[in-house]
Amino acid sequence: MKSAVTTVVIAADAAGRFPSISDIESVKGSLDRASARFAAAEKLAAGIDKVTEDAVDAVYKNGIYDQANKDKCARDIHHYLRLINYCLVTGGTGPLDEWGIAGMREVIRAQQLPTAAYIEAFSHIRDRVCIPRDMDQQAATEFKGLIDYLINALA
Amino acid sequence: MLDAFSRAVVSADAKGAPIGSSDLVALRKYVSDANKRIDATLAITQNVSCIAADAIAGMVCENTGMTQPGGNCYPTRRMAACLRDGEIILRYVSYALLAGDASVLDDRCLNGLKETYMALGVPIANAVRAIEIMKIATVAIMTETNSGRKMFEGINSGSGSQCKEIAAEAASYFDRVISAIS
Repeated sequence: MKSAVTTVVIAADAAGRFPSISDIESVKGSLDRASARFAAAEKLAAGIDKVTEDAVDAVYKNGIYDQANKDKCARDIHHYLRLINYCLVTGGTGPLDEWGIAGMREVIRAQQLPTAAYIEAFSHIRDRVCIPRDMDQQAATEFKGLIDYLINALA
Repeated sequence: MLDAFSRAVVSADAKGAPIGSSDLVALRKYVSDANKRIDATLAITQNVSCIAADAIAGMVCENTGMTQPGGNCYPTRRMAACLRDGEIILRYVSYALLAGDASVLDDRCLNGLKETYMALGVPIANAVRAIEIMKIATVAIMTETNSGRKMFEGINSGSGSQCKEIAAEAASYFDRVISAIS
């Protein structure tokens, strides 16, 4: 799975060489940002149920979307947030790519759920992150970057 | 392959739960000890040929018949193959050490290694001995208990005694190789 160290090791192995100084530099660069990512992951894990509920309520209270889909939407948002939590831990987009994006849009369409509602919910989550109440600047940057990545993939 | 981070993700995903504070303790330790891990990885990569050549030479010295006609390291072509294998094993140990997880070693090096050695007629007991010597040499370099140049010589921060824990982790990967082929 794509993560801070695996990408480097896979590239080194493909070339049949030992980890070089530049490989190690790139691992170090990723680890330097790890404490901010871990802080974001921790906050997200602690508030994942509340964040989900909040976002889904905000999107479905407008009456634009069919209320019958609300529970399914909440389930999926929760699932995506969990994958974002994993991405924050690994330092790469591996978990989202492998478990969340490949084929997911097709699945959502097949269930006749509106992707627009998902995008709206994630935009709501992204815009509602308050610095420093929820997390600090660095952590919020990492978190918002991943949400944007997911929005782009769903759009 | 996995590293310490993706390993945590895979086990959290099996439970369907996000990774919270309690799971992050071990990963935070990995991050805070990153410099030791990097130094330990460099200790291997900068001394590869020395570690491998010493180990193979040691193995042959203990069994001088190996380089005689009829021995497993005769002619030099087979001796060279032996040195090459030593370096390959060191390479995968260095990957596992950097990743903090043995999966790359298991998947890409050890899977089927015993069967390959048996098919090629490699004497397993001697191969195990060579890996043992590589383990001892690697640990000695990491903890600065080796004779000759010390790893942290001329460097202001860090010492071999601080790398004991990471050296023990490296030793566990060599033990993994030994148990996989014996």
